[in-house]
Amino acid sequence: MDLLVIAIILAGLYMAWNIGANDLANAMGTSVGTGALTIKQVIIIAAVFEFLGAVFFGKRVTSTIAKGIVPIDMISSIHPDIVVLGMLAAILAASFWVTLATFYNLPVSTSHSIVGSVLGFGLIAAFNGTISFSDIHWGALITIVASWFVSPALGAILAFLIFSIIRRLYLHRASDMPAVEKKFLFLQLITGCYIAFAHGSNDVANAVGPLSAALNVLGVTGTEVPLWILVMGGLGMVIGMATWGYKVVETIGSKITELTPTRGFSAQFATASVVLLHSYSSLPISTTHTLVGSVIGVGLAGGLAAVDLGVIWRIISSWIATVPIAALTSAIIFVGLEVIF
Amino acid sequence: MKDYIRSVLDVVAESPFVPLEKHARKGVLAVEKLAEAMEAYCSGNQALLDERTDEIDVLEHEADKIKQKIRASIPSSVRLPVNKKDLLSFLKQQDSIADFAQASAYWMTLRPCKDLPDEIKEGFLELMAASLKAARMYDQLVGELYKLLATSFSKEEIRETLQIVPEVEKLEHDVDVLETALLKKIFEHESAIGGAGVCHLMGLVERIGGIADKSASAADRLRSMILRR
Repeated sequence: MDLLVIAIILAGLYMAWNIGANDLANAMGTSVGTGALTIKQVIIIAAVFEFLGAVFFGKRVTSTIAKGIVPIDMISSIHPDIVVLGMLAAILAASFWVTLATFYNLPVSTSHSIVGSVLGFGLIAAFNGTISFSDIHWGALITIVASWFVSPALGAILAFLIFSIIRRLYLHRASDMPAVEKKFLFLQLITGCYIAFAHGSNDVANAVGPLSAALNVLGVTGTEVPLWILVMGGLGMVIGMATWGYKVVETIGSKITELTPTRGFSAQFATASVVLLHSYSSLPISTTHTLVGSVIGVGLAGGLAAVDLGVIWRIISSWIATVPIAALTSAIIFVGLEVIF
Repeated sequence: MKDYIRSVLDVVAESPFVPLEKHARKGVLAVEKLAEAMEAYCSGNQALLDERTDEIDVLEHEADKIKQKIRASIPSSVRLPVNKKDLLSFLKQQDSIADFAQASAYWMTLRPCKDLPDEIKEGFLELMAASLKAARMYDQLVGELYKLLATSFSKEEIRETLQIVPEVEKLEHDVDVLETALLKKIFEHESAIGGAGVCHLMGLVERIGGIADKSASAADRLRSMILRR
């Protein structure tokens, strides 16, 4: 059993690394694109605030992933062993899908992947008769999926409003545009911290949710999510940012020079607020998709020279693919593990 | 090289306004070269005229390539802060500036400038200078676009930018007046120039005047694009 826990920890760390290298980097890329922060500053800020967000505000979403979708306690009272196997299957399936998506540059969300793969385990447990299908928390799942639609829309609306206000108060009154943008350069330092904190609070769960559930069942930890698990997840993401994410930040920063500080501020502030709100509501959402929504909001408010809405369809198709694929992979891995152990 | 990233920030599409400004620049550069070509033509320097004509040819071709790129950069999924049709119709007029510069240069190379009265040569130089002035004013107008975008179309910037449009139109009118005066002079000297000569010079007047016409109509379309957002 120890071997399985170590495997879950390693897979969780890999997932955390991947999240730090990609999603965190996506969120921070806008700060570099505008020249608000240097790449070094971005890594330091991202590391500190991502870590703080994960450790101090990551508990709620982690609980959702661990036991909000599949009734882990119910399964563990019947077959404690299979929970550990199931959580290993879930984290492996999510890692596999996210890696594949990264390889093909698909806009897949780690949150969607982990929710899908945990659901896959729940479904196979129900299929095996350990629990009944109605025991799966469908209501919670529907709320989560609904939040995937709501969060980018909310990001768009909020960013639209914030940019419209900035436009009215500053841009349209400015006699000296560069001075206005310079002011927002400083504000972007704050939103950079804000978005890293928000991201850490929501996305740490994608890496450590299954681990938390497994340890809980094994009796290693209590029912509360222990701090050290969040610390570990936070560290994993920070390492991902420092070892690979900086390249992603550079790539994104060089691509989106169109986002000036006023635009970048609006998008980041809206994204961070929406993500933090969802962390508070224990809902795992995609920070990157919310950021896309926010950028579209700024664009529709007239802040950008050109916005490509074609991305929306790519995101939606990746959503539709992610949950079934992650669930199926998770179920297959689970069956395989059950044969072995 | 593959990036290996899951980024969706392709949502920020490439701005068509940056190449639009470059495109205007190419057109005005072509007109500036044409002014030099005109001097070479009047002074009978065939070698210099050919050289300038080749340079104008290159500029026109470069402008065409930028135009294709702009057109390709706005598929239906891309949203702009202005109407796409307005942008394309404005681009088309702007593109004609380089076209007319090229046509004028070609036209000059068709028939050497010989035995032309000085009065007519001066008339052409004057017409050319006026057309160049209109094109330069137009270029200045396009140069204001980035400010409009930076302030996300503030009323103040729109007002300042649109003030330039009537100035371009006024310069275009000046060119019209010069055109008529020059044509009149050409007919006054029709016996000295000869029938074929008159025909050639009329074509040249028309083409050089076309530069100012197109500058003015591009400025007009630009105004519509800004106001009809």
